[in-house]
Amino acid sequence: MAADRSNERGAGGTSSGVSLSCLADAWGRLRASVWRVAVAEESMAPALAAGDWLFLDPTPARWPRRGGVVVFHEPESGLLAIKRVAAGPGDHVRISAGILHLGPEQAWLLGDNGPSSVDSRRYGPVGLEALVGRAWFRYAPASRIGLIPRGPDWGPVRTLDEPQA
Amino acid sequence: MSRATGWLRPPTTAYAHCDVPCGIYDPHAAELAARTVARMVELIGQLPPGSTDVADRQKFVRCVTVKEQHAEIVKHEISVIWSDYFKPEHVERYPDLHDRVWKILKLAGKNKQNIDAAAAAELEAAVKEFADIFWSTKK
Repeated sequence: MAADRSNERGAGGTSSGVSLSCLADAWGRLRASVWRVAVAEESMAPALAAGDWLFLDPTPARWPRRGGVVVFHEPESGLLAIKRVAAGPGDHVRISAGILHLGPEQAWLLGDNGPSSVDSRRYGPVGLEALVGRAWFRYAPASRIGLIPRGPDWGPVRTLDEPQA
Repeated sequence: MSRATGWLRPPTTAYAHCDVPCGIYDPHAAELAARTVARMVELIGQLPPGSTDVADRQKFVRCVTVKEQHAEIVKHEISVIWSDYFKPEHVERYPDLHDRVWKILKLAGKNKQNIDAAAAAELEAAVKEFADIFWSTKK
């Protein structure tokens, strides 16, 4: 109904109806997309803890940046997971088996809490299409509100100091 | 306040997936150890009463030692799962969890002190129930 009216008005030169439906559309998309998450488990400690509530930035261009924290669909389980980008598209990852050259649509994701984290060492590179957003702000708990800093940039060649799990 | 936090709470969870809670914990070792305790009590009961035969005495001592060791294994395995695996939300779901663990540890001690088939069976059953709770939290 609203769409019909906005069409009429649009033809008549009034844009308020159009912008209203645009707004409703944007709101619907925002509701449908994942723009905030709660963290569970501890593999991102101490940067993130279980129970942290985060805002996500769904802007694709910023996702694969090294050191950023991203939310993505875990390859094996399909569950939403959160890890840090250790290496991005085109980077090299040095693992015990040799050097892995990431494709233009791949990222190497690792947990900060190395030894116990289940990450790219287990399931390999993650395709960018699996990424959902970049965690940029923690809005709870109150004592830890703030921007989520990007981690160190290890450069285009990432050497893992641990053997693959 | 609670309505406010309910509204703020993100509808989705992102897992900082860890290996430890998913892979290593398994109550099977505790169940096996509890079974061993019961089996040792059984074997001790089968020895000829009052026998001074060296072979019988040797077997008796062995059975008691194995019983003690495995009661200790029960205590250790249960304690580790209890302290390291279970989280507050599990306790919410199973409010008697702490009490159950306490009971198992007490029962393990009792099985060290005595040769008591009933206590051994009780221990085995309690550990089995603990294992059932553990697996139900994995679903």
